Amino acid sequence: MAPRSAASPFSDIESRRDGRARRITRARGPAPGTAAALGVLIVGGLLWTFAPDSGSRGETLARFVEWTPALVHGFALNVLISVGAVAIGSILGLAIGALGLAPSLPGRIARFWVQAFRNAPWLVLVYFTTYVFPFEFTVFGKTLPFPDWLKVTLALALPASANIAEVFRGAVASIPTTQWEAAGSLAFSRAQILRHIVLPQCVRRMLPPWMNVYAIITMGTALSSLVGIHDLIDTAQVASSTVARSSFTVLTYLATLVIFFAYCYPISLFTHWLEKRIANP
Amino acid sequence: MAVSLHAFIDAAARAGLDYRFLLDAYERVPFLHGVVVSIELVIATIAGSALAGLLLLIALRHRHAWIAAPARAFVELTRNTPTLVQLYCAFLVLNMLITQWLRESHIDNPFKPFFWVVLVWSLHKGAFHAEALRAGFDALPVQTLEGAASLGFDRRTRFWRIELPLTLRTALPALVNNFVELVKATALASAIAVGDVTYQSIIIWTQRDNVLALMIVILLFFGLLTWLVSLAGRWLERRLWIPGYGA
Repeated sequence: MAPRSAASPFSDIESRRDGRARRITRARGPAPGTAAALGVLIVGGLLWTFAPDSGSRGETLARFVEWTPALVHGFALNVLISVGAVAIGSILGLAIGALGLAPSLPGRIARFWVQAFRNAPWLVLVYFTTYVFPFEFTVFGKTLPFPDWLKVTLALALPASANIAEVFRGAVASIPTTQWEAAGSLAFSRAQILRHIVLPQCVRRMLPPWMNVYAIITMGTALSSLVGIHDLIDTAQVASSTVARSSFTVLTYLATLVIFFAYCYPISLFTHWLEKRIANP
Repeated sequence: MAVSLHAFIDAAARAGLDYRFLLDAYERVPFLHGVVVSIELVIATIAGSALAGLLLLIALRHRHAWIAAPARAFVELTRNTPTLVQLYCAFLVLNMLITQWLRESHIDNPFKPFFWVVLVWSLHKGAFHAEALRAGFDALPVQTLEGAASLGFDRRTRFWRIELPLTLRTALPALVNNFVELVKATALASAIAVGDVTYQSIIIWTQRDNVLALMIVILLFFGLLTWLVSLAGRWLERRLWIPGYGA
């Protein structure tokens, strides 16, 4: 093939024909994640330099170092809420997904659950559990507190369960119907086919979209700051209003952005890698 | 009208739901205004995200790496950080700095919270639109593109006349899904005190402690909006349907 210049009017089609050329153009330059982090740092650095401020930048940095443990502690709460929500959501979601396969009344209820919680705004769910659920409840004469972070965990577990039920449905749907029929002709019951034949194959296929749900829920934990939970964003707000310096505010919020990115982007990279591995083993 | 409103409030009160704020003009008028603001927000962000998506798509497919790479980086950044944090970075950081800079020359900041929400949400969902469209481009049959090229269409004409119209059709379900997500996400505007329906509801329920009653209204409101959006999407899908494809 003749050497092609980038200005060729057909370069895009030619690269479609030649998969290798395409991969080479993709690989050029830094990885998008690195570029994104660099971009945030450059823009943040510019804003930080030009922010109108009375004190010195060194003092701003010192204050930021002071606040770092609080920010880390806040983010730990975000992680705790996300892990709890996805754990509860997975158990619920698998049960609902399995129920949803049934054509009976429970199946219809399960499908309604999925529709309802996939379509409700998360913020509304978070407000709902925070304000409607009691702050403590009594079991066998003992009063147990019902802290707000647990309520938010439950609020996020609801859409998580709906999404995981969909992930489950998608994985089951990707197993050829002939396998159900073949197993049925070997006198397996529907429940047995699901447990012994379909589910073992589903686990691998469910992992990437399940991790996707986890990343989305982690980003959803940002909402907890709106109902007064001292998570990363709430801590950032408290810090910036306590210190009350423009350069500190720039630093804190960009740090928040970078922390979330540093946590979620590797998950998304790993998800892509897994997807590719499963697609062509 | 007034009679039926009273009858409704009485009936709701028997079910344990407090809708008496509807009788008080000081609460009813801001609430109804909040409904209008929410609808404006949805329309503005749908238009804005469509524009941002198209621009990002062109940038992503640009043959110069110095345009494509920053676009790619932006897409990854916006997909992997919470929208609330992006909103705060725009409103509490950028907007604050703009206000301070303009104050030195005694000018009021022309950007309002509404503008920032529309901007951030448009860019955020624009990234998702661009990704959906890019997947649609990759799914185009290469023979069609070669056919177009052999007819002497240049790259630009091919993009606008052949690739984009076909891609729009294949990517439409994903785009409509993005729009539904967008409608739901506009509830977050209340975080920076845009007077939308969620914000007005928060004000009312802190006064009256009728969270459940208002929550039902908000859920129904967003349910209606998302239903309308998906209805419009289905209508478009039927209109743009290519004979011979799909069911």
